[in-house]
Amino acid sequence: MAVPVPAVCWVRAAAALLLGCCGAALASGVQDQAEQFFRSGHTNNWAVLVCTSRFWFNYRHVANTLSVYRSVKRLGIPDSHIVLMLADDMACNPRNPKPATVFSHKNMELNVYGDDVEVDYRSYEVTVENFLRVLTGRIPPSTPRSKRLLSDDRSNILIYMTGHGGNGFLKFQDSEEITNVELADAFEQMWQKRRYNELLFIIDTCQGASMYERFYSPNIMALASSQVGEDSLSHQPDLGIGVHLMDRYTFYVLEFLEEIHPASQTNMNDLFQVCPKSLCVSTPGHRTDLFQRDPQNVLITDFFGSVRKVEITTETISLDSDSAGFESKLPKDDLATEPLKYAEQLPVAQIIHQKPKQKDWHPPGGFILGLWALIIMVFFKTYGIKHMKHIF
Amino acid sequence: MAAPLVLVVLVAVTIRAALYRSSLAAFISERVEVSSPLNAWKRVVEGLALLDLGVSPYSGAVFHETPLIIYLFHFLVEYAELVFMITDVLTAVALYLAIQDFNKVVFKKQKLLIELDKYAPDVAELIRTPMEMHYIPLKVALFYLLNPYTVMSCVAKSTCAINNAVIAFFILATIKGSAFLSAVFLALATFQSLYPLTLFAPALLYLLQRQFIPIKLKSKSFWLYTTQYAALYLCSLVVIVCLSFFLLNSWDFIPSVYGFILSVPDLTPNIGLFWYFFAEMFEHFSLFFVCVFQINVFFYTIPLAIKLKEHPVFFMFVQIAIISIFKSYPTVGDVALYMAFLPVWNHLYRFLRNIFILSCVLIVCSVLFPVLWHLWIYAGSANSNFYYAITLTFNIGQILLVSDYFYAFLRREYYLTHGLHLTRQDGTEAMLVLK
Repeated sequence: MAVPVPAVCWVRAAAALLLGCCGAALASGVQDQAEQFFRSGHTNNWAVLVCTSRFWFNYRHVANTLSVYRSVKRLGIPDSHIVLMLADDMACNPRNPKPATVFSHKNMELNVYGDDVEVDYRSYEVTVENFLRVLTGRIPPSTPRSKRLLSDDRSNILIYMTGHGGNGFLKFQDSEEITNVELADAFEQMWQKRRYNELLFIIDTCQGASMYERFYSPNIMALASSQVGEDSLSHQPDLGIGVHLMDRYTFYVLEFLEEIHPASQTNMNDLFQVCPKSLCVSTPGHRTDLFQRDPQNVLITDFFGSVRKVEITTETISLDSDSAGFESKLPKDDLATEPLKYAEQLPVAQIIHQKPKQKDWHPPGGFILGLWALIIMVFFKTYGIKHMKHIF
Repeated sequence: MAAPLVLVVLVAVTIRAALYRSSLAAFISERVEVSSPLNAWKRVVEGLALLDLGVSPYSGAVFHETPLIIYLFHFLVEYAELVFMITDVLTAVALYLAIQDFNKVVFKKQKLLIELDKYAPDVAELIRTPMEMHYIPLKVALFYLLNPYTVMSCVAKSTCAINNAVIAFFILATIKGSAFLSAVFLALATFQSLYPLTLFAPALLYLLQRQFIPIKLKSKSFWLYTTQYAALYLCSLVVIVCLSFFLLNSWDFIPSVYGFILSVPDLTPNIGLFWYFFAEMFEHFSLFFVCVFQINVFFYTIPLAIKLKEHPVFFMFVQIAIISIFKSYPTVGDVALYMAFLPVWNHLYRFLRNIFILSCVLIVCSVLFPVLWHLWIYAGSANSNFYYAITLTFNIGQILLVSDYFYAFLRREYYLTHGLHLTRQDGTEAMLVLK
């Protein structure tokens, strides 16, 4: 009877083993999926949107920035995580025939200003210094929270800049410039201070590609609207408003982003194809050599949205146990903990005791005496003593 | 004539009291045309407050009043409104009495000249009669008390009213003939604001005339009287200044008051000519131009003295007008003082040429002052040029007024001695021209 029992046992063992293997395989599949949660590596999203141009005829730069702002907000990044810098106010410009609006398409189809826009740096606050301070975090302590980029090493940051630029520089406010070297150094500072996980840099200016030439920090992907030596052109003018409403590149990027919703799986490669030369006239460029991941795997919403990864499963997943939990040692209170009485903290006795009143000033006695003596003398000289009459 | 005067006084006091109680008082006291850095009430209160805190009021650049004002208001600061109303009334009464006396003098002189046959035969219509001169003192008091400028100045509690009162008393003393009192009040007026110094000449001329001392440079009695008067004046000035020293035991008030008046450091806009120039002038030239502007006030005294030596009261009027146009911080209170004299020269009406345009200029400018101030400071759609343009026009109007009266006066004098129908050598009608 020993032989059939071992056989059954063997079959059972084999089945168990197989089942175990399958289970393990299944479990590892879910494990993989679970680990996909952490693949992109970021836990929060920030956006820094900068328009660097002043004056009414640069309406399109403000419209560019506001379009990206609108998309980014729509896809989930809250205002508290967006630093919006607009160098001029188009919505309330006296030359705006439709006040409180900024349109991005002719025939006034899309008002990108909306009624919940929050501009953090406005007008003359948009300077190179402020921009670099925002990026590097070297901000005076009195700066309000809305003006800070409070990113950490798990933040994906989208940086969008638009304005007038040239080969290696971008003009701020018609009075100063930021060079590509400065920008690259700022990003390096951010990397060293662990202020970003991954950074997407988009620039829509003339010769925009020159701005990302000098980047040398890891995890940066850059897009530009035109190559060195080319001008980025504006889209159609609106005859009702009188200026060009948007630049071509951002116009098509906006069109592309309007298709994106928080759950879309569109990746960066599609973004690279957004504006071919036939539509944009200039050649958009991109740079991905510093980026660790394959652009194929990078979702648009990794940068443009603030997507919470939620996936519902009924499987039990065992995660690696975390390293030893943080036992933050709170410093022991060495101070005495007996409660202080109010009266002991304030010099109540001194407060109650009235200060002696300031003495009012009085004119000196000599003065009063002298003055009245003179007045009386004059009086008697004119009206009084008879023998003084010849003066009268 | 006491009853109508009392009536006028009562009406004036009522108007002022009503304005004090209304909300306009605060608005008026803020107006730069009414209160200047020299005589604003705010500054008086500030100076007294500083004194209460134990600090000299002249230590900052706030307080520019003389120590006698400190003494006066030290006890009377709660009754300030009453003080200013009484001051205005006193000024009006002083002017009333002065002009009454002056009319008597004028009439006496006219009678003398007629008897001496100094007048041409056909000037009967130019001779003044006591009937027409009867109401002039009342009109003077009326003009002073009910002049909107005076009312505004009083409501703003600007110490210009006190300056005007002292000058009015000086005029009263001079016309009454008392050299001593005249010297004392002139010293007081000079002590208060520097410019009445120029009134020394007309006062001297009047007193000499009254003493029947001819104005010849060789005459011994002329020089004797002049030195007497000058000595009285200077002595009283010195005594007053030294007395002021003893109020605060310091000479601080001299740079604060006279240094301020002469060097014009504060360029707050006012109705004068200084502020705009010095706001845009280079530092390099400012001393030169300060000297030029200040000399301009004193400059007209000698030529006017030579021309108007027979008519010292008219000279006084012209001199007061010149002071209020060219002084460093004029206000409408100063303008009101010489405007009060206009009824005295009623008889010149037929010779005045610019009545309409003058009155239009003065009224329109007075109305435009607050308008352009609002546009400049509050609405931001004008700038200082607009306000200065109105200031300039206003001062041009004033100068036109003075020169018009001057011309009319001289023309009348000429007609009196040469007859109304002037003919040239060839018999055609001639016209008098002021060159």
